[in-house]
Amino acid sequence: MASVADFVRRFLDRPGSVDLTPFQRTVERAGELEAEVRERAELRAGEVGTPEFCAVMREAARRALGQRPFDVQLVGMLAMLDGHVAQMATGEGKTLAGALSAAGFALQGKHVHAVSVNDYLARRDAEWMRPLFEILGLTVGWISETSTREERRDAYTKDVTYAAVSELGFDVLRDRLVTDPAELVVPAPQVALVDEADSVLVDEARVPLVLAGAADPGTAVPEMAALVRRLSRGYHYKVDQEGRSVFLTAKGTDTVEKALGVDLYQDPGVVTEVNLALHAHALLTRDVDYIVRDGRVHLINQSRGRVALLQRWPDGLQAAVEAKEKLPASETGEILDSLTIQGLLRGYPEICGMTGTAVAVGEQLREFYDLKVAVIPPNKPCVRVDEPDRIFATAEARQEALLDEIDAQHATGRPILIGTLDVAESERLDEALRARGLRPVVLNAKNDAEEAAIIARAGAQGTITVSTQMAGRGTDIRLGGRPADDDGTAGDPEGSVEESTESDVDESTERTVADLGGLYVIGTGRHDSSRLDDQLRGRAGRQGDPGGSVFFVSGEDELLTAYAAGESLPPSDPDGVVRHKRAEELVAHAQRVAEGVNLEIHRNTWRYTRLMEEQRTHVLELRDRVLHGDAAAEALREAFPDRFRELSETAGTDVVEQACRQIVLFHLDRCWTEHLGYLADLREGIHLRALGRLNPLDEFNREAAPAYRSLLDEVEQRSKETFETADVTADLADQGLKRPTATWTYLVQDNPFGSDWERILQRVAGTLKRRRKK
Amino acid sequence: MLTAITRAFRTPDLRKKLLFTLGIIALFRLGSVLPTPGVNATNVRLCLDQAQAGDSNNIYGMVQLFSGGALLKLSVFALGIMPYITASIILQLLTVVIPRLEALKKEGQAGNAKITQYTRYLTIGLGVLQSTAFVALARSGQLFPSCREAILLNQDVFTIVTMVVTMTAGTAVIMWLGELVTDRGVGNGMSILIFTQVIAVFPAELLNIYRLSPFKFVVVMVVGVVMIAVVVFIEQAQRRIPVQYAKRMVGRRMYGGTSTYIPLKVNQASIIPVIFASSLLYLPQLLVTIFGNSQQPNAVIEWLAQNLVRGDHPVYMATFFLLIIFFTYFYVSIIFNPVDVADNMKKYGGFIPGIRPGRPTAEYLSFVLNRLTAAGAPYLGVISLIPIIALAVAGASQNFPFGGTSILIMVGVGLDTVKQIESQLQQRNYEGFLR
Repeated sequence: MASVADFVRRFLDRPGSVDLTPFQRTVERAGELEAEVRERAELRAGEVGTPEFCAVMREAARRALGQRPFDVQLVGMLAMLDGHVAQMATGEGKTLAGALSAAGFALQGKHVHAVSVNDYLARRDAEWMRPLFEILGLTVGWISETSTREERRDAYTKDVTYAAVSELGFDVLRDRLVTDPAELVVPAPQVALVDEADSVLVDEARVPLVLAGAADPGTAVPEMAALVRRLSRGYHYKVDQEGRSVFLTAKGTDTVEKALGVDLYQDPGVVTEVNLALHAHALLTRDVDYIVRDGRVHLINQSRGRVALLQRWPDGLQAAVEAKEKLPASETGEILDSLTIQGLLRGYPEICGMTGTAVAVGEQLREFYDLKVAVIPPNKPCVRVDEPDRIFATAEARQEALLDEIDAQHATGRPILIGTLDVAESERLDEALRARGLRPVVLNAKNDAEEAAIIARAGAQGTITVSTQMAGRGTDIRLGGRPADDDGTAGDPEGSVEESTESDVDESTERTVADLGGLYVIGTGRHDSSRLDDQLRGRAGRQGDPGGSVFFVSGEDELLTAYAAGESLPPSDPDGVVRHKRAEELVAHAQRVAEGVNLEIHRNTWRYTRLMEEQRTHVLELRDRVLHGDAAAEALREAFPDRFRELSETAGTDVVEQACRQIVLFHLDRCWTEHLGYLADLREGIHLRALGRLNPLDEFNREAAPAYRSLLDEVEQRSKETFETADVTADLADQGLKRPTATWTYLVQDNPFGSDWERILQRVAGTLKRRRKK
Repeated sequence: MLTAITRAFRTPDLRKKLLFTLGIIALFRLGSVLPTPGVNATNVRLCLDQAQAGDSNNIYGMVQLFSGGALLKLSVFALGIMPYITASIILQLLTVVIPRLEALKKEGQAGNAKITQYTRYLTIGLGVLQSTAFVALARSGQLFPSCREAILLNQDVFTIVTMVVTMTAGTAVIMWLGELVTDRGVGNGMSILIFTQVIAVFPAELLNIYRLSPFKFVVVMVVGVVMIAVVVFIEQAQRRIPVQYAKRMVGRRMYGGTSTYIPLKVNQASIIPVIFASSLLYLPQLLVTIFGNSQQPNAVIEWLAQNLVRGDHPVYMATFFLLIIFFTYFYVSIIFNPVDVADNMKKYGGFIPGIRPGRPTAEYLSFVLNRLTAAGAPYLGVISLIPIIALAVAGASQNFPFGGTSILIMVGVGLDTVKQIESQLQQRNYEGFLR
């Protein structure tokens, strides 16, 4: 029996994945109904999940978009409707499958939030799929960063709302500051359908969304920036192996103390300024970690290779970088509230998603979200040739070989896509290629806007495209490409069209390129997660096209120096290539270490934020009761019956009730902000508790819970004080709140010292190694 | 502490966890008294009584303590958690030596899962080895040298194999039970199981004392409770060295850093020095057993037999005390390396106010630590000596149940578990003025 064999195979290589057989059967039967449904004048979907439903959805897509969904897309749709994460390869038509399942949920009367990775994709998908929703009698809306509050509120009333995950989170956060129920924007969460699920649910989940307000002018100190510029690395300060932290040496401390004329370690304020300046100077590199555009510092999102418009460094680091670049300091704020993407999405009773690479994070999806992965087979089998890594001892040898390879491949006319790890590298490569007389097109964080157009042409004969991270770029590369004048924003970026009306891709050019071997993808180094490698590879060989991919790795890559420190590659052959089997193992090992470290960071973030999220939920409950009812007035009336009566007589009960509400809300928000500050402080040094044989996480929770209890007392006390003294008829809202900004967090490891055992073993190992060397 | 537990029982998911843990403990105890097939349970009891009446200070002392008396009963769980603990220690040591294991360890969760898997295989291996050894001892009558009864019902190969298989399977089940507690119960599974075995012998031994003399029973109980109180007090005692992190500008607010500190414990070394010292003191006993029978008495052996074998001899006590103090300093110097701590703090931007990061910080830390250990080491010594002194004073031959090791284990595991419960209790019943 085929299904039994299938079951065994699934069990053996993909534990935790979903059995597709029932879905496939449904879709098969839907195929039989196809002709009959085509005749119908009106499309009624019937019960969701039945063969008839599938047939109707297929017909709707055909009529509205001119695209007939493949069987596999319908299977993907059913898997998502069942609450799984569908893994579909690039170019298999995820967008359409996602829209179909969004429609399926909406037809059950639920509001669907289609979560995408960025504004561009949210808008594009919403507009592109609009006819499909309309033909089914559904409404669709989208939200982008520039949407006004009214536009947002309007979009959320639609059956299906497309939005970037950060916008969704910010709306939820902003809602928590309103003082009038009518100003609320986001409805109660029902269904979240997540595009690029691995990226959103796993990679982004580490970064909390932060709502900041009450802006101070930035506190950058240009003198500090000037001071640290004079220090020299290795003598005055040192950077640790992983390149994550920097610290002054004794010499450096002397120099700084002399220059500033202070005793550095008596005053934490000055040390902090010096440390921040040093961090900005030594650890953050222009064009790798950030770019300077229009006189402002913009962060680069490492896992996307894009400018992260809304992200800022926390706690004064942004200002320090601005001082380093001699720019005026931008405003800084105080954290009013924060929310992790994980906390946000777990608030949805139903959640599903789709991505090209889910299996690798299947275990994490199960652990953190209770989601299973459904592996949808491709419509046509993938014939891409993935060559083994080419490993070089030095970055120099790699660069040389890389350029030669590009030259050689380009000579045949085959289109080449080169994926680089950062912006600076993409520019270096561009220069080197131009020096050889080639004409590459560069796509990086600096020219995001032309993205769609560049990608659309990347499959044309003889093009060389150099791009940073391809994950989450949404558009895929068609062989033969499109003419240069195509506007590249609308139309059909995600392929999978059988009855395509597109005429701009010439059949014959496509065949020519295919004959050359299709798109050739070259990675200039392995990423620190195999998923990102796969995303890059996946750009070639879409829809059964031919294609190839290869990675050029060097022993000097950050992946190897940071995560396989202390181990060296086997010696290279005279031509600089390392052919020993151990080299491959080492690269794979380094990547697994990197993945392990990131998983640990994710898990820790979640462990430490879980209590905070619970407290946050509780605060919001209280807030809701104050906002929508008169809990505040009741409480204050009970505390001061005389004053309450007195005030009501002079100003009217309504005014007093409103004032009570404002007073309590203000203090609640204020105390929460202070509580968050306290938690951040506590978190920073909690790992030291491990030195006293205490579990840092337990200690954190044991301190955070009483702190929250005292917060509630504090709210009570302050509210009473204000009520007693304040003039309730005057304007209480003297606290202007600034537009929220997102920040980037950095994390302190849970227990960097290791357990007792690890410490003992480290010492023993250290001694052994020293002996061996002698 | 009691309020924490009652509150925990009122919280549904914690109640579930606690009941689960208690259920596992009950199962574990059941297996510890259930005789292995093929064992003559009546004879074993007879022999045990004889052995207890005789010299209790035998070679299996520590193992017997960790197995809660199950070992000599030859029960299904006779081997207890020792094979698993030994296997974990061996694998941890191997990670230093074998590059492949070292690589796995660095790969985080996925790698550690594999190492755990190897640990389990090794546990089974050790289980087969140890159970074979014990069954062989039992078969040849060497388990209770002074007892003439036959411990096994019969001696054929089938019975022997059944016994070995049963005990090995028991070991595997214990390993599983421990992991279940860690996953779904409260506390660390292995510690909870050790805790269970350590206190499991209390009722029987206390009953023994009570039968002999109710007055002695009262004295023992009072001494025991006082000791537990003292141990709880000192185990919690810590010197907090304030630390400030200077990597973030947090507006104009300053939190004084009251919650950021290094907690240096008075007893930073915990129980390990006592275990080292008592293991070392088994050596003379072993030497005397091996060489003591020779016809010409050796002067050294003679001296050892007189001074270092009997627990109530002053030389023995003094040696024990001094060894504990030595091992406390030794172990603290291994697990708390002030230079590493200072380096780590420097790396993450932390400092002790008024003291420069790096070497001055390390010097300050080791200064404080040495003075703390000066109090902590004698404390450990005294706690460990009390039962021995009590034996000498009372002149009683039976076991004194509140042994130093037992109390230290009991209090240590107890405190950890209660702290974990408290941490999970968190909130649920926040009350404020908004209703």
